[in-house]
Amino acid sequence: MRLADLSIDYLGSDGEVVSALRKVELEIREGEVLGVLGESGSGKSSLSNAILRLLPPNGRITSGRIEYRGKDLLALSQSELRQVRGAGIALISQEPALALNPVLTIGRQIIDVLRAHRRVSKEQAMEQTRAMLREIGFPDPDRISRAYPHQLSGGQRQRAAIAQALICEPSLLVADEPLSSLDTITQAEILELLQKLKGELNLSMMFITHNAGVLSSLAERVAVIENGQMRACGTLDELSSLDDAYVRGLIFPEKDLGRVLVQPQEPNWSVTEEPFLRLRNVSKHFIQRRIFSRRKFAVQALQAIDFEIREGSTIAVIGRSGSGKTTLARCIAGFETPDSGEVSFAAEVANQSRGVVQLIFQDAGSALNPRFTAADAIAEPLVIARQASPDQRSQRVRQFMEEVGLDPSWASRIVIEFSGGQRQRIAIARALAASPRLLILDESLSGLDLPIQAQILGLLMDLQSRHGLTYLHITHDLNFLSRFADEVIVMDDGRIVERNTPAVLFQSTHPATRSLIEASERLHAPGLEVAQ
Amino acid sequence: MIRYMLRRFGHALLLLVGVSLLLFILMEAAPGDFFSEARLSGEISPQTLHALRAQYGLDQPLPVRYLKWVSSAMHGDFGYSVAYNMPASTLLLPRARNTLLLTVPCLLISWLLAVPLGVLAASRRGGWIDRVYSGGTSALLGLHDLLLALLALLFALRTGAFPAGGMASLDVTGGLWVHWKDIGWHMVLPAAVLIVGSLAPILRHVRSTMLDVLDSPYMRAAEGHGINRFTLLFRHALPAAANPLISLFGLSTALLIGGSLLVEVVMSWPGLGPMVLEAILARDMFLVLGAVLLSTLFLIVGNLLADLLLYAFDPRIRTEA
Repeated sequence: MRLADLSIDYLGSDGEVVSALRKVELEIREGEVLGVLGESGSGKSSLSNAILRLLPPNGRITSGRIEYRGKDLLALSQSELRQVRGAGIALISQEPALALNPVLTIGRQIIDVLRAHRRVSKEQAMEQTRAMLREIGFPDPDRISRAYPHQLSGGQRQRAAIAQALICEPSLLVADEPLSSLDTITQAEILELLQKLKGELNLSMMFITHNAGVLSSLAERVAVIENGQMRACGTLDELSSLDDAYVRGLIFPEKDLGRVLVQPQEPNWSVTEEPFLRLRNVSKHFIQRRIFSRRKFAVQALQAIDFEIREGSTIAVIGRSGSGKTTLARCIAGFETPDSGEVSFAAEVANQSRGVVQLIFQDAGSALNPRFTAADAIAEPLVIARQASPDQRSQRVRQFMEEVGLDPSWASRIVIEFSGGQRQRIAIARALAASPRLLILDESLSGLDLPIQAQILGLLMDLQSRHGLTYLHITHDLNFLSRFADEVIVMDDGRIVERNTPAVLFQSTHPATRSLIEASERLHAPGLEVAQ
Repeated sequence: MIRYMLRRFGHALLLLVGVSLLLFILMEAAPGDFFSEARLSGEISPQTLHALRAQYGLDQPLPVRYLKWVSSAMHGDFGYSVAYNMPASTLLLPRARNTLLLTVPCLLISWLLAVPLGVLAASRRGGWIDRVYSGGTSALLGLHDLLLALLALLFALRTGAFPAGGMASLDVTGGLWVHWKDIGWHMVLPAAVLIVGSLAPILRHVRSTMLDVLDSPYMRAAEGHGINRFTLLFRHALPAAANPLISLFGLSTALLIGGSLLVEVVMSWPGLGPMVLEAILARDMFLVLGAVLLSTLFLIVGNLLADLLLYAFDPRIRTEA
């Protein structure tokens, strides 16, 4: 596969032409894995879509060739192209929940791909599908092939999507951020699966990601894309020895954090002996019931949780999805009432009427009203609390925007015009406007590129030292944990299994903690966390 | 499943009670009653009128009349038509049957037409088929049922190809087959008017729902796997679009019954429409009440059907439920 001089333009809704890729040259050899590394918005996804000519209607390939085994894909007719799609080159995409049809069974979706390319009987197709599902790591393929996508977990869906992509034994797999919507442990499992398949099927792969750590164990060569242009290409070792700040920022995002990290200052708030927040024996269960049958399932989300947080500290709560982290956050924020036990704040905090606890969610895009301007969003807590006159409000909004590193002159821009990282900054500014004491960061960084994660973390640490904030940081990945958290709580199955400082925790032998650490090590550049 | 049906049944009952109560209040708020015009004639003495009112119970206060009606309705007696001097249900049931005879085939035909056409237009977005489609549906939306009905009548009169009203010819004799063929012949024009009148919103919805689905990431993914276009459209996209379309199906029964009442009046189809109109003008309370309740019942059944279809078609609803 060879891409030569490839350029792609998008026609914006306002008639403006936006260039997504400019003169990209790439080559993938038989059996090789090429990593494509870039920040979001760098044009990586346009690249993967262009290869199979799946660009949205407003996208256009303006120049270049896409050669696959000597044929120019751009010159193929629709029916020739259809033969390449799925059988020669297959695609797996970022969001497995969205890549599978919600109303068809997994089996149907795989069989349809198979029958689009091969003349096989129904029974043969079923048999091959079952074999593929087993290969991909499902112990009971029959159940999976009868299941609908919503009945599977995120990791299972991504496996099913991989099975669908590989059923016709393509020689090239284009994987567009296949891990980014999964939790750390699942990410590591999928990565391992892809490595195994690469070896067994002699698969070439183009692996698109923003996380250089993933590539270290998988990719032979890495191409770095910035703003639609190739910045560099070579092995990861070659790239990391380059004297190029942008490339180094992508490969070693934690260096960035070091730069923005403010030196620990003398705390200018009083450290009280009374705990800021205390949870005593908190339990919570949910009952799931089906209307058409009488079966009930009790899900024990939290079991006898006990801990306290000192004011001004940062506690990280880690655990895989489903371990009860989010329920814990919701109980503290008062969205859920625990079945038993008690959540209590220090007396002087409890007297503050509102806004004590603020949440920052994973997806700032959906946590902010898309029709609001940045100023509307940030001013909202002030409006609700009936604080300040409109003039004062816009004054405060500018102040908050500056504080979170946004240009105050952007205040009248609509929320959707901001990038993911900028939106998260708006969400943080909005939380600050409520003058909170405790910020709950519920996977607030997971949706962001690693370098952006580092920047936001730097911002949060800065804000903490200025406002004396307390953080409860809920996360499934361990990125930057040791630089950020004073203490780490590991949750599994609704229980706290371990609580310690990050440094000690990384030596832990508890299986739940171990699996998180190992998964995270597999996904990150060697030495990133362990060396701390 | 049974509990779900029971709950739906409860909702339906509540709706019927609400509609009947509202009708009672509205009819009360309108001036006069069935005997108001008789009072003007001067030939009937006020005493006779008073006696008649008392005989039909019209002199009693509203809550009493409502409760009496409810209690008799529970026994299957839906009141008495003052104008026809017959039980309302005896009058209404054959009429309701005729309305259903007209609307049910129309409902099926419009959907059978709209789904393939909509899929076709959506799959050729921006092409000439799509542009003709969008222009055509816009034009159709602008045409009122009444205008269509009048045009159809004009057509029938000018050409004589179709009967210009009614449901059966008086002079047709013969077996069952001849009888039904005659009815079918009479149905063509009213049915055509109803279908054309109700088609436009359905066509537009099918197209836009299909476009949403075709734009979705899973359709792009399926296309990327090289699945052919026909399979993509009908086996992948259409089932995914079924959910909003089925909900629209429930609503379209309402549109169609509303349209049918009007068309029946204009084209003298002996359904509920002409009878309701007559009964309203005559203030024939129980006849109006019965007819409106029957229409409500049709709607409820239509929506219930839509719910069952949703349950059958959408695996996500099955799991939620």
